[in-house]
Amino acid sequence: MTELASDSAQAAIVPILQLRGLEKRYGHIQALKPSSLDFNRGEIHAIVGENGAGKSTLIKLLTGVIQRTGGAILWNGQEVGLANPSEAIGHGINAVHQEVVLCRHLSVAANIFLGDETVRFGMLQKGAMTRAAQKILDDIGFDLKADAILGSLTIGQQQLVATARASVRGTKFIIFDEPTAYLTRQEAAQLFALIRRLRGEGVTVVYISHRMEEIFELADRVSVLRDGLLVGTRNIAETNDTELVAMMINRTLDQIYHKETIPFGKLLLEAKQLSGKGFSDISIKVHAGEIVGLYGLIGAGRSEFALSLFGRNPKTGGSIEWQGQEVNIRNERKAIALGIALAPESRRDQGLNLNLPIGLNLNLPIYDRLTRGPFVDVGEEKRRADQQIKDLGIKTPSRRSLASSMSGGNQQKIVIGKWLNHGADLFIFDEPTVGVDVGTKAEIYRLFAKLLKDGAGIILISSYLPEVYELADTLHVFRDGRLTGSQTYRQSSHEHILAEAIGV
Amino acid sequence: MTTEVTPTTTKAKRNFSFLFALTLVGLLLLLCVVLSIATPNFATPNNISNLLRQGSMIAILAIGQTFVIITGGIDLSVGAIVGFSTVIVAGLIQSGMPIWLAIIITLLMGLAIGFFHAFGIVKMGLPPFIITLATLTSLRGMGLLMTNGSTINITDPAFTQFSRESFLGIPNLFWMVVIVAVPAYIFLHLSKWGRYLYAVGSNSESARLSGVSVPKMIFIAYGLSAMCAAFVGVMLAARLGVGNATQGEGWELQAIASSVIGGTSLFGAVGSVHGPLIGAFILATISNGANLLNVNSFWQRIITGVLIIVIVFFDQLRRRGR
Repeated sequence: MTELASDSAQAAIVPILQLRGLEKRYGHIQALKPSSLDFNRGEIHAIVGENGAGKSTLIKLLTGVIQRTGGAILWNGQEVGLANPSEAIGHGINAVHQEVVLCRHLSVAANIFLGDETVRFGMLQKGAMTRAAQKILDDIGFDLKADAILGSLTIGQQQLVATARASVRGTKFIIFDEPTAYLTRQEAAQLFALIRRLRGEGVTVVYISHRMEEIFELADRVSVLRDGLLVGTRNIAETNDTELVAMMINRTLDQIYHKETIPFGKLLLEAKQLSGKGFSDISIKVHAGEIVGLYGLIGAGRSEFALSLFGRNPKTGGSIEWQGQEVNIRNERKAIALGIALAPESRRDQGLNLNLPIGLNLNLPIYDRLTRGPFVDVGEEKRRADQQIKDLGIKTPSRRSLASSMSGGNQQKIVIGKWLNHGADLFIFDEPTVGVDVGTKAEIYRLFAKLLKDGAGIILISSYLPEVYELADTLHVFRDGRLTGSQTYRQSSHEHILAEAIGV
Repeated sequence: MTTEVTPTTTKAKRNFSFLFALTLVGLLLLLCVVLSIATPNFATPNNISNLLRQGSMIAILAIGQTFVIITGGIDLSVGAIVGFSTVIVAGLIQSGMPIWLAIIITLLMGLAIGFFHAFGIVKMGLPPFIITLATLTSLRGMGLLMTNGSTINITDPAFTQFSRESFLGIPNLFWMVVIVAVPAYIFLHLSKWGRYLYAVGSNSESARLSGVSVPKMIFIAYGLSAMCAAFVGVMLAARLGVGNATQGEGWELQAIASSVIGGTSLFGAVGSVHGPLIGAFILATISNGANLLNVNSFWQRIITGVLIIVIVFFDQLRRRGR
């Protein structure tokens, strides 16, 4: 570590936080094998790895959420305990989590200063706080109003507020966990500007992402975790995505997107000039054996369209034909009965019953079939759950473990698994790979091919262009609730499709 | 830093809910042992029968309440339904209706009240706290209006006799707990409806998108809770021999307390049938023992409050430990 390719390395390299054989065990499972690593002052240090590779464990250890079972952590050369979150914050260690954990009913300013309010004579100085918050937001270049209520913002904007909050409190070390998962391009650009600025001020940024292009755009160094082990650290200038992916999974990039040519079967679903809340005049067809990609920015109306197809939201115009027959999908159960399955966009809010066992989540759509007389057939219930856990390679000690204890990729497998368990003719996958590592992504894509071969059709919704570009047989582009373009497999360029999506 | 953890602890953790139930049973037994030593009047057949009768009614209310709490709701109306049902069943019997028909009509009326709660929640978008608070006060008023604030005496001895008799040496009223608890256990723990109830309480949107009819489950939960309350109203009318709209005052809080002591989470998706049962009898034993020991009844309320805090605190510690 004597040289650094980055332009920020003008000053001498000073380690701020050092891991010395850091280890975390849960029972006989090693979530983090003894690892040593130095984080330097004023660097952007990316950490990559598959789900379950130990990234979350590392973050939790550094932020004092969990305690290590071995090794040491040095802060400015002194050994520290990091026994609880407030000790970590006291040192200046902050984290911005993938899911926003702020108060939805308070204003942006109140959230930024939460726990650190300006008070005079026991009274909140609301005006002063709003002005101060607005100054902070303007300073760091976020286009947000300090007096807006947090809940009225998009998830991406809320993420920016969380970032602003973490970056103002005497932060010396800040961890971003998948920060761009829900951000639009513009928002991501604002975030990157802030991150570079923090580096300029000598703050250490730890950046966790599955998106390789972001890592190469931002980071100075990158460390790779695999199966709880730190397998290596590279200067960003001296590596490439092929090498990183190989370090993460021992597989090459070409094998990730798995596309087979499967002949189309019968017409499954046709939407004719369908309109509803958030979208209007959408006409698409889906055949058996076909992947129909819906690309667009978050909020472009793709998810709303899917929810209407699934009977969650009512349509306001147009019609839906299912295998040639016009149908009225008035609720979710009607859609499921027809043979439509939806793996929704938000795992936490729509996809999972987090504080219930994995087994119950996997079997939730099929309890009608598991019922004998008044009783659930417990043996069959157990067998079906274990089957999905095994087929999908869900990493869990037991089907009785709570869904909340799983990593993002494993949670996504549960969301998908419940519909594999049920079976369907048309699968709608809404952002199936957000916050999911490369290895699991490859597994999910391979699963698509298997579903197609079994005669199903797929609607794949994604705001990650390479994914829909490489996989979709037909690709529709959404912007502001309307279709702005449609093309067949690899018919247009990335640039062309992106232009349709953002309207330039 | 931490203790060495062996693979067996994973299994032990899984059985926590069982252990928790055992701890509660242990607490109940300990109370009984201490009271048997402290007062000669406790371990008498008469007193035990009395205790079982006292505890039975809150126990049944607590089972119904637990269904509602598992969905993430609350039912504040159950005490008022008890009082109102005593009036209805007493009035019907006094009007010359056969007892069995009077009971069935009262139970159906309870079910209708529960469906009204569910209607308010599902169709009108009212919070459970508000809609059940509204029926709490309205039902008391309706009962008082119907009786003009007085009491209806039940003159049919067959009806009141039932509550004093025993079967196999156990009071009939306690048998009623068994009659409610066994189907309730099958419903919550062994049928798909129970699984759906937990799913709705854990995340109703996810349950809905998985094909669970959330409104149906809300109707079932509130319907069952109110019907349990009407059933308790019938039991109370039989025990006292009167119908009076002011009966069952504050029982909703005792039912909620029993449920929570029995491990039910007010955030939903956590709870059982056996927990609230034990919870109800712990409360009944404390109250009974305090009476026998001549503890000021004001103290009983304080002791109950402290106990709720202590038990729920330890339950929270256990959950955090997972």
